[in-house]
Amino acid sequence: MSTKIQIQLQVNGEARELLVRTDETLLETLRDQFQLTGTKRGCNQGVCGACTVLRDGEPVRACLSLAVNSTDTELTTIEGLATNGELQPIQQAFVAEGAPQCGFCMSGMVLAAKALLDTNPNPTIDEVREGLSGNLCRCTGYVKVVDAVMATAAGKYG
Amino acid sequence: MKFFEPDTIDEAVSLLNEHEEARCISGGATLVAMMNADLVDMPALVSLRRITGLAGIAADKDGLRIGGMTTHNTIANDPQLAGGWSVLRRAAGQIAHPGVRTMGTIGGSISHADPAADYLGALVAADARVEIAGADGVRQVPATDFFVDYYTTDVEDGELVTAVLLPAAPAGAVGIHRKFARADGDFATASISLVLALSGDVCTHLRIAVGGCGATPINVPEAEQLLVGQPLDKQRIAEAGKLLSAACDPIDDVRGSAEYRLLLVPRLLQQALDMATDEINAGAAA
Repeated sequence: MSTKIQIQLQVNGEARELLVRTDETLLETLRDQFQLTGTKRGCNQGVCGACTVLRDGEPVRACLSLAVNSTDTELTTIEGLATNGELQPIQQAFVAEGAPQCGFCMSGMVLAAKALLDTNPNPTIDEVREGLSGNLCRCTGYVKVVDAVMATAAGKYG
Repeated sequence: MKFFEPDTIDEAVSLLNEHEEARCISGGATLVAMMNADLVDMPALVSLRRITGLAGIAADKDGLRIGGMTTHNTIANDPQLAGGWSVLRRAAGQIAHPGVRTMGTIGGSISHADPAADYLGALVAADARVEIAGADGVRQVPATDFFVDYYTTDVEDGELVTAVLLPAAPAGAVGIHRKFARADGDFATASISLVLALSGDVCTHLRIAVGGCGATPINVPEAEQLLVGQPLDKQRIAEAGKLLSAACDPIDDVRGSAEYRLLLVPRLLQQALDMATDEINAGAAA
């Protein structure tokens, strides 16, 4: 039986307080306690990037983050990007450019891409590849992902 | 498992001394991966993230102080890490991926002391010292003595790494971290970290460390002495590379055989010196 402690977080703009196990990862908290299952569990070792979320605006691995070590932070998951059902430009680009295949890596890809464009709005192709290098797509569909990020940077999706 | 979030280094040290086998957690990039794989199980965690002043990079009269909680991402992007100190900036920028560099910290990485990790050789090449806090106060250890064995450092029970201290590098020096990895973001199969200064074409300062080829970063003063005091030439660089290879004791693993690593070392040295020389010459021409 692991100890539980109380933490507070902002998740997609909403303040939340909850009890978590001290060894509970943020990925478990998001998926199991908040039912935000858009954040995927892939390797659970920080390698694949499927669990990428934004913590205080920075991309992090939810699987390598303890929930107790994330208290008082602001999280954005894939569910938090669209407002009133309207997709953000980066999401529209992924759809329109045909980036998703099976879709499993997409939440992490979109958030990693958003984090990249937030800090570097006009990246080169190499910078996009580097920015997404920690997100694996086992369908190997990287070309259209990169196209989608470049098209977003070019303003094609608003 | 108990979880503590001390506000000061003294509190953290007290907690580590009160709770035997407690571990510090900084970003979690390594420790939580090990927890997820059931490789570690500790009775208590001491989180360092609330401790004021433990993250950040600041220059003082002796050089540069990098707090233990400074992330790889911060180090990779800080323009203060210029000249010879850029060896550390470049090493940081080659660790894993963007979403890991925002989490992982220099204190965490060097305390874990995976010999294939990027900082280890960079610290040795930069003549860094590591600051360690314990119940008896604060002490400093040169990087060459800090790394003791595979995953083993000079940090004792009840102590924690608080900072990495970089002395002033020679004027005009450059720092290179040349890493060979199977894929972008992987640990090094082998790496060369070096700090080089030239006067004209004469080598006036050179510190080299090999990563991923033994229990700790490999430094061979004789290899450096072979090159310092004269123009760099391929023959002597090859000889220095042989001396480095001879001092290495690599293992066979998924990243490469020991034999292959020994072949890489002299080649990476030549490449790293070419990169450093080009950068110095480009700076002189500018």
